[in-house]
Amino acid sequence: MEVLGSLFNVALLVATIRTTTPILLVALGGSFTTKAGIFNIGLEGQMLIAAFFAVIGSIYTGSSVGGLVIGVAAALVFALVYAVLVVSFRANEVVVGLALNILAGGMTISLMKAIFGTRGSIVGRGIVGLPKVQVPGARDLLGFNAAQLISGYTPLVYVAFLAVPAMLLIYGRTRLGLYIRVVGEKPEAAEALGISIARVRYTASLLCGLMAGLAGAHMSLGYITMFTENMSAGRGFMAVAILIFSAGDPLKVLAGCLLFGFADALSLRLQTFGFPSYLVLAVPYAVALVALFALSWRARPKTIRETLETMRRALSVSPERESSSTRS
Amino acid sequence: MDLAVDLQGITKRFGAFTANSGIDLAVRRGEIHAIIGENGAGKTTLMNILFGLLQPDEGRIALNGKAMVIDSPAVAIAEGLGMVHQHFKLVPSLTVADNIFLGMEIRRNGLIDRAAQIERTRVLSQKFGLRVDPSERVAGLSVGIEQRIEILKVLARDARTIILDEPTAVLTPQESRDLFATLRSFVDDGMTVIFISHHLEEVMEVSDTVTVLRDGKVVATRPKTSLSKRELVRLMVGRDVSFDRRPRGPVDGKAALEIADLWARDDRRLPMLKSASLTVRSGEILGIAGVAGNGQTELAEVLSGLRPPSHGSVRLHGQEVLGLAPAQIRARGLAHVPGDRMVRGVDRNASLSANMLMGRQDKAPFSHRGILSWATAHAEMRALIKRFDIRARGPKDPARSLSGGNIQKVVLAREFTAGGDVLLIDQPTRGVDIGAQEAIHDEIMRQRDQGRAILLISTQLDELAALADRILVMFDGRIMGEVDGEAMDEEAIGLMMAGVDPATPVDPSTGIDPIGAAAAPAFPRPPASEEVR
Repeated sequence: MEVLGSLFNVALLVATIRTTTPILLVALGGSFTTKAGIFNIGLEGQMLIAAFFAVIGSIYTGSSVGGLVIGVAAALVFALVYAVLVVSFRANEVVVGLALNILAGGMTISLMKAIFGTRGSIVGRGIVGLPKVQVPGARDLLGFNAAQLISGYTPLVYVAFLAVPAMLLIYGRTRLGLYIRVVGEKPEAAEALGISIARVRYTASLLCGLMAGLAGAHMSLGYITMFTENMSAGRGFMAVAILIFSAGDPLKVLAGCLLFGFADALSLRLQTFGFPSYLVLAVPYAVALVALFALSWRARPKTIRETLETMRRALSVSPERESSSTRS
Repeated sequence: MDLAVDLQGITKRFGAFTANSGIDLAVRRGEIHAIIGENGAGKTTLMNILFGLLQPDEGRIALNGKAMVIDSPAVAIAEGLGMVHQHFKLVPSLTVADNIFLGMEIRRNGLIDRAAQIERTRVLSQKFGLRVDPSERVAGLSVGIEQRIEILKVLARDARTIILDEPTAVLTPQESRDLFATLRSFVDDGMTVIFISHHLEEVMEVSDTVTVLRDGKVVATRPKTSLSKRELVRLMVGRDVSFDRRPRGPVDGKAALEIADLWARDDRRLPMLKSASLTVRSGEILGIAGVAGNGQTELAEVLSGLRPPSHGSVRLHGQEVLGLAPAQIRARGLAHVPGDRMVRGVDRNASLSANMLMGRQDKAPFSHRGILSWATAHAEMRALIKRFDIRARGPKDPARSLSGGNIQKVVLAREFTAGGDVLLIDQPTRGVDIGAQEAIHDEIMRQRDQGRAILLISTQLDELAALADRILVMFDGRIMGEVDGEAMDEEAIGLMMAGVDPATPVDPSTGIDPIGAAAAPAFPRPPASEEVR
């Protein structure tokens, strides 16, 4: 009980929010492409390249904002290349996505070697991390514990969570969001009305690049200020899985990301309790698998049943016979 | 003359194929102008050119007296042209109003103003007498309503000239009648309607002027009043065509295919085959008539094992086959000519021999100890090409290089030689030119004379009149009644196709209230709550 008490506390919630942020950002980015009808598995690469260039940018400009901008720009370049190949040249989206992921992995390693002469990771060297935002008055109003929940995060944490309602508004009430949905759901309808499918898909891809870039920058300039080889560690793929099961719906994306973030945070906490690390590190993935399985179990096609109810409606028999047939 | 549309010398080529050749078309303002022709005559190409979806290689276009280059649909729309496509382009997850204003959203402060869109839709709907519920989602609406939405979409863009591409292909007779009344009211308001069709009856019913296309050329443009149906066919086909009833002997075979109380659901999980019962005897052609989408597809799919039934019984020579896999059903003697040859009939990229082999690839003489003998397959295909008069260079031609009629003959050749003695033939001549149609009918009659039991599904009444011994009419998944092929009563069939029960219900044992059945809608809306997902 004592263990549980010290395991599940405010700190765990705070950790959950922090670990959810990068995957939420990248998954929301992927929501744009998913809704626009592009199966984008290039999220991982866009995130990784942004993380690397955010560090480079931060070192060269000496500011975290500079790092952020350059990191996002790198992700946008990747997103643009992806869009050119997939939208304009109609290349296979899975092949292109995989190729760009591999390119991102290799490119960061070679550039690291070329620029810093090291392998593995970039630490120190004047990397400026993102500042922490203290919400003014939070501590006075809510007390220390509750204030932790809403105050003291890097700006991108707030961006990620505020992006959820923003995207609901975009999909529900703006022309761009409507067009993205239509292009994904029924492209021939868009075409017939003179909506350019290519333009909408480019826009969606670039918005996705923007969000993936923010996710990457958050990884390398957020809570830890360093870059390590392959530091996205499958989060982009996890986001793809969440996207498949949420169909890009922002609220479902949020739920999926919170689940994964919670499992991630939990495994970090468990490590401090001396559980075998290889088991602990598998927790988030196991949770994700179980959750996805549960979801698909619920959504599995049900066997066709000719219920009395639907038969009666089809036959439109009189109410008297209706009630008697229910009993028989 | 006040012309809404004036096309001169329009020519359009696709590679070596000329789809439109020197077409002149003058449509007066305030008339319903029908464009009629067989499949492949170039009607849809011409309309796509007019609407800016295709560019002509030669020719001039003038709209409302102004010469124009229509290089995108936007230009056509701006000039008051509206197109209702044959395949509706609605977004299922959006509401009716959202669909209508898609691409021209009403916005306030940068956000879409849903309330205003719904209001405008309501006003439009009232003004033109096209009833819709603006805030309803499109998913699950009937095709008739979907078409109303498509027309409202066009009207919301201030169209004064409306093009309808095969508008009645998916409608029930009642829905068609409503549509014609709507079109008539448009014309009374001074609008212009261009109506593309290959159905003689509706062209004769609704149009003022008729332009007939054949092989990409205009054969005639005449006021309807100066035309008879017979003349119209001659213009369309280029020769007199008689689909007279084929002579035949009496049916005296035993029951080969027996279906009893068969139920099945369609892809939307709605009951689409309701208590169907029928018997086909050896040496008999049993025709199934009905407007497309009234359960015929489901019937064929259940019989061939492609769609799971809800319940019922299907017996081949007294043996229950319901629920068996397609290959097992075939092994018990059913051959199936599917309704859509390109989807289930052939592999378009495979050679004719490979297509012929399908289903017999593991049988002698084509397979010897698990090794295919292509030489045998090619020899067999060569023989079939000769026997069925298939226009192909040889057995190694890919199926896609053949015309629709010849592809259909390949399917027929395979199925008729598969050894099955019960033939399920779905739409044997859909999209097939008239010459090939006659040959296909000859072959079907030959199969009958050899004592095969044939279930012939067709939406074309003249085909059934020529071939069938008996005709059953399907409506809303139900068999409405039976008509003798020898003395076919078109009036009675037409009524049953529209869902009106004949005086004597065909199968009183099922205990179905005939009035209730007739009142049931042809395209029932999915129930709100209990829809099985």
